[in-house]
Amino acid sequence: MNASDMTFLNVWQAHTQQRLFRRLLDAFAYPGRLLDAADSGTNARLAILATLLDAEVSLADPHALVTHEDWIRLMAAAAAPGEARFVVADAARAPDFTPALGSLESPEFGTTLLLEVQQLGTGTPLLLTGPGIASQNRLAVQGLHPAWIAQRADWVSAYPLGVDIILCDATHFAGLPRTTQIIREAL
Amino acid sequence: MNNTYELPLDEAGYAFGFMDEYAKKEVRRAILKAICIPGYQTPYASREMPMGRGFGTGGLQLTLSLVGGNDTLKVIDQGSDDSVNAVNLRQFVQMTCPGVDVTEKTEDATLIQSRHRIPEKLLTEAQILVLQVPYPDALVVVEPSEARRKTMHGEADYSRLLVKLYEDIVKFDEITISHRYPTRIHGHYIIDPSPIPRWDVPKLHQSKALILLGAGREKKIYAVPPYTLAEPLAFEDVVFSVEDFRDAAGIRRTCSRCGTADSFLDEFSNEAGEKTYQCSDSAYCDEQLAHQTVHAQTTNTEVAA
Repeated sequence: MNASDMTFLNVWQAHTQQRLFRRLLDAFAYPGRLLDAADSGTNARLAILATLLDAEVSLADPHALVTHEDWIRLMAAAAAPGEARFVVADAARAPDFTPALGSLESPEFGTTLLLEVQQLGTGTPLLLTGPGIASQNRLAVQGLHPAWIAQRADWVSAYPLGVDIILCDATHFAGLPRTTQIIREAL
Repeated sequence: MNNTYELPLDEAGYAFGFMDEYAKKEVRRAILKAICIPGYQTPYASREMPMGRGFGTGGLQLTLSLVGGNDTLKVIDQGSDDSVNAVNLRQFVQMTCPGVDVTEKTEDATLIQSRHRIPEKLLTEAQILVLQVPYPDALVVVEPSEARRKTMHGEADYSRLLVKLYEDIVKFDEITISHRYPTRIHGHYIIDPSPIPRWDVPKLHQSKALILLGAGREKKIYAVPPYTLAEPLAFEDVVFSVEDFRDAAGIRRTCSRCGTADSFLDEFSNEAGEKTYQCSDSAYCDEQLAHQTVHAQTTNTEVAA
């Protein structure tokens, strides 16, 4: 087994997933904060999926971002985007589905939506307010189709129902829980 | 065969964190949803722990799912690092999580598990507070059916809870809840903030640290995220107030050990049968004492010079 295989395996190990989980915790506790997944030995998308998924949950991958090998390792059941607990999607394309929003009694069944963008830290600034943000936070995003923001506003309009979004690029990620209010600033 | 896999054999023969990785993942997913829906009691599959339910298994499962090799853990019970429950939980984590540091100093901890108190010292963004919860649902006193309580929570229908508080005022001229004070989070869900005294309830409001609450027996996890609105239930004309430590003459009681007048006090009886008061937060009390010793030494040196 060579060295590159070893680093790749990193993300499937418990201590790496513990570290990544603590950053996911920060991502949702402090929305808009940019967090690093570069030390996971793989891209942020797979690092996040590996940390959160197992055979107990379902995943939808409408844009075929996850390789066949990774599907096997993730063990998650495949489901339609409207029903899956987790959905991973290409943020450059406009959403063409409505994710599960949960119910009044069980809002935790609202989907966790992982959106892969071109780059975080540059591009269109999003102005964020809500729980976890002292006053205002600014998150710059490149390659997020504007329809996601408009659709999300609709999906989270009947709180406590809604979706919780993780934005990621190749190495970094940031969280947007359903409680965060987003104002899209003009460039 | 996977050649890179090593059996998790530390001295105790347990995997890091005692729980298996699937159990941790399930708790972790529940924690994230609990943060995204502030105050909502997220159900999870509470696992068997090697201690009785009701001894902090909910808090322990949170701690074990969070903790990593570079964490420093503090465990307190009623404010004290040295009580039986705190010592047992701390030793259990030390045994099953090799490499995790433990501390009694609030400011040194990255992870604090607590029963019934929030430390006096303000927490920071680098810290997470885990509270052990015996009864997670504030509505249980007015509605026995969990299915109906879930609907009431979803609709933020808390009228019957307010009636309960009103009845208190009619009967006793004040709200008689001493601990587990119902608190509304982010303007929607009302939580039972665990049996913390009223003194600690304002610390939930706009806290810099993430606060996670775990009920092992009732299989619920909920959260008060940082910088979030936390309002204790009250009426316009009957406001919420914390414990009053003034004596009959109106003078604030002080700790008999360190002399501080700004902490939550426990009441004791001394040998003469008189009431005395002491800080409930033992680490805070120790720190006040240490400050005084340093101060006394400096003063003595100045006198000698």
